[in-house]
Amino acid sequence: MLRNSLRSVRAVSSRPIRAAAARQWQPAIARSNGATARRCFADEKKPPIDDSKLPKIPATETNTAAASEPVVSKVDADIISSTIDAKDVPQAPPAPRSVRVPPGPLPVKKKGFFRRLRNYVLTLTLLGAITFGGGVWYSRINDNFHDFFTEYVPFGEQAVLYFEEAEFRKRYPGTVGNGPRSKDTSAQVKISPQSGASWRVADSTESSGRQSSAMGDVVASKKTAADKKSTPVTRAKPSPESPKAEKTPIAPSTSESTVTEKKPTSQKTKPGFKAPEVDEPSRFPPPTPIDPIKVKDAEEPVIQELVKMLNDIITVVNADNADERFSSTIYKAKTKLSQVGSQIRDIKATAEQKAAAEVESKVQEFETAANELVTRVEKIMASQESQWRGEFEEEMKRIQTAYDSRLQTEIEQQKHVNEAKLKNQLLEQAVELKRQFLSDVQNQVEVERNGRLGKLDQLSSAIKELEQLTTGWNDVVDLNLRTQQLHVAVEAVRASLDDEEHPRPFVRELVALKEIAAEDSVVNAAIASINPSAYQRGIATPSQLIDRFRRVASEVRKASLLPEDAGVASHASSWVLSKVMFKKQGLAAGDDVESILTRTQTYLEEGNLDAAAREMNGLQGWAKTLSRDWLGEVRKALEVQQALEVIATQARLQSLQVE
Amino acid sequence: MPETTPAPSSTVSRPVSEALLNEKWDRCVSNMLIKSSLGLGFGVVFSVLLFRRRAWPAFAGVGFGAGRAYEECNWSLKQASRDLKTKP
Repeated sequence: MLRNSLRSVRAVSSRPIRAAAARQWQPAIARSNGATARRCFADEKKPPIDDSKLPKIPATETNTAAASEPVVSKVDADIISSTIDAKDVPQAPPAPRSVRVPPGPLPVKKKGFFRRLRNYVLTLTLLGAITFGGGVWYSRINDNFHDFFTEYVPFGEQAVLYFEEAEFRKRYPGTVGNGPRSKDTSAQVKISPQSGASWRVADSTESSGRQSSAMGDVVASKKTAADKKSTPVTRAKPSPESPKAEKTPIAPSTSESTVTEKKPTSQKTKPGFKAPEVDEPSRFPPPTPIDPIKVKDAEEPVIQELVKMLNDIITVVNADNADERFSSTIYKAKTKLSQVGSQIRDIKATAEQKAAAEVESKVQEFETAANELVTRVEKIMASQESQWRGEFEEEMKRIQTAYDSRLQTEIEQQKHVNEAKLKNQLLEQAVELKRQFLSDVQNQVEVERNGRLGKLDQLSSAIKELEQLTTGWNDVVDLNLRTQQLHVAVEAVRASLDDEEHPRPFVRELVALKEIAAEDSVVNAAIASINPSAYQRGIATPSQLIDRFRRVASEVRKASLLPEDAGVASHASSWVLSKVMFKKQGLAAGDDVESILTRTQTYLEEGNLDAAAREMNGLQGWAKTLSRDWLGEVRKALEVQQALEVIATQARLQSLQVE
Repeated sequence: MPETTPAPSSTVSRPVSEALLNEKWDRCVSNMLIKSSLGLGFGVVFSVLLFRRRAWPAFAGVGFGAGRAYEECNWSLKQASRDLKTKP
């Protein structure tokens, strides 16, 4: 990687240089392009200046180019080239490989057909064996696979079974014989014609015995394996079935009866063998083999051992056919053995008796002890009971006394309470009585008082009426007073107006009037109708009015003859002509200015201001303009007069209303 | 003009209604006096300067002045009468 990157960097860096060089040196380009370049370079033998540059460039190129060796050889002394050589070496091997392969197939193909076949078969068988072996091995691990393998793979079941058996045998080496035998027995049980009803009597008995033995076998197997072993040895001659058949009767028998039974059977069987010998009477005793002994005390393990030993001896003796020699000793031994058995039994019995006695004595002892214990416990119980009773009685007494005392106190308390209650009731009664008495008294008093109170009420109502009357009269008096005041005020105003000398404001009088008749709407309206300038400046007196009228009348007369749109000439002429006009007298008829003025003068002289004002109001043009101020004066005076008259009338009305 | 004296009772600044016409007459007279005197002055000057002390330029000047004053007085009176008509 690093080298590659370096190379690429070099290539990149070298390119411009190369290009530059190419521009300068034609051969350089040719060299970079390929083998021709090499040749050119070789031919031309370029100056050594190139060599300094070139070694690097070829190094990059040689890697890509197939034939780099010549260049290397030519470059000679460069380290870089040597390193590249090392790389180039790996490239060489591929060529040989390819070279080898192509020639190989052609010659081998002929040989290889068989060889390949053989290889194929071999591998197939090997694979098959491996898979089969694996399958067997796995089937023993996995149950599901076991089922599958045994069901679908040929010979799989057998193989698996064989291996299982081998393992089983390895694991339980003792039961090697049993497995097959059990199988055999089962097979024989199936087959056995002896079982069930048969024509042979002996067999029937045997079968019956055998059937009974089936139950006993279980019991016998529990006891010892020794019996089984010993019996088969003795019955070595008969078939393997017979020992069983004979053994079975032996096993159940715990007593000597088995021995007695056995003897006949053995005798029965033996006679079959020694029939020819039986013919000779003299030899009769010797051939009888010595019976193996059976002891009734089979339970004792020691005796069993002894019996086994003896039986072994007997069998040995029997086998040697040396019965005669050892029969006596063996019988003796037998008897001794039986004696030993009986002795042991006796010892046992005595021991048992002793034990029983001991147990009885112990039981008695315990009984007595228990009785004692019981009595003691009873005594203790009784004593405790008595004690508790006494305590209980004492407690009872104490409680009784306590309760008695408490009862006594309670009774006393109740008595006290009762007394108190009674007292309270008495007190309550007394209080009730008192209250009743008080209420009675109060009622009486109330009744009497009510009578007086009623009278008092009457009196008070009468007084109230009187008060009302007085208040009514007071009102009347007040009203009278007010009307009087009103009259006075009106009179005061009038008096102020009547001052002939010069007009003066009558505001104070009017204010007084207004205060007196504050609630009188008529008076208020009358006062409101008066022009404010009238009471502020006062009004002109009739004499003043007449005086002013004279002046106004002279002026009006001057302008009496003026035409509609008068200029200087008409004014002058009217002034001149008015001088020469005749004067009228009294109430002159006519609508001209002169007659109006005369009438007004007469009215004024009569004192009829109202009519004078009316007359003057009828003037037109310059005449009216000239008389305007005088008219205003007259009007004010007239207004005040009217208002005063109204107020006076109101006062009079009030005084009339009161009455 | 002795009657033109205003009434002593009227203390108001505004002329009393009956003195309105008199006031106008006063104005007119004063105006005429001033104007005619002015015309007389101009006429005298002109007569002295231009017309070798002849009298008629002076009269002419007085005439001009009086005429002017008359016209003004006439106008004021007519205006007043017109106002009277419109106002009330």
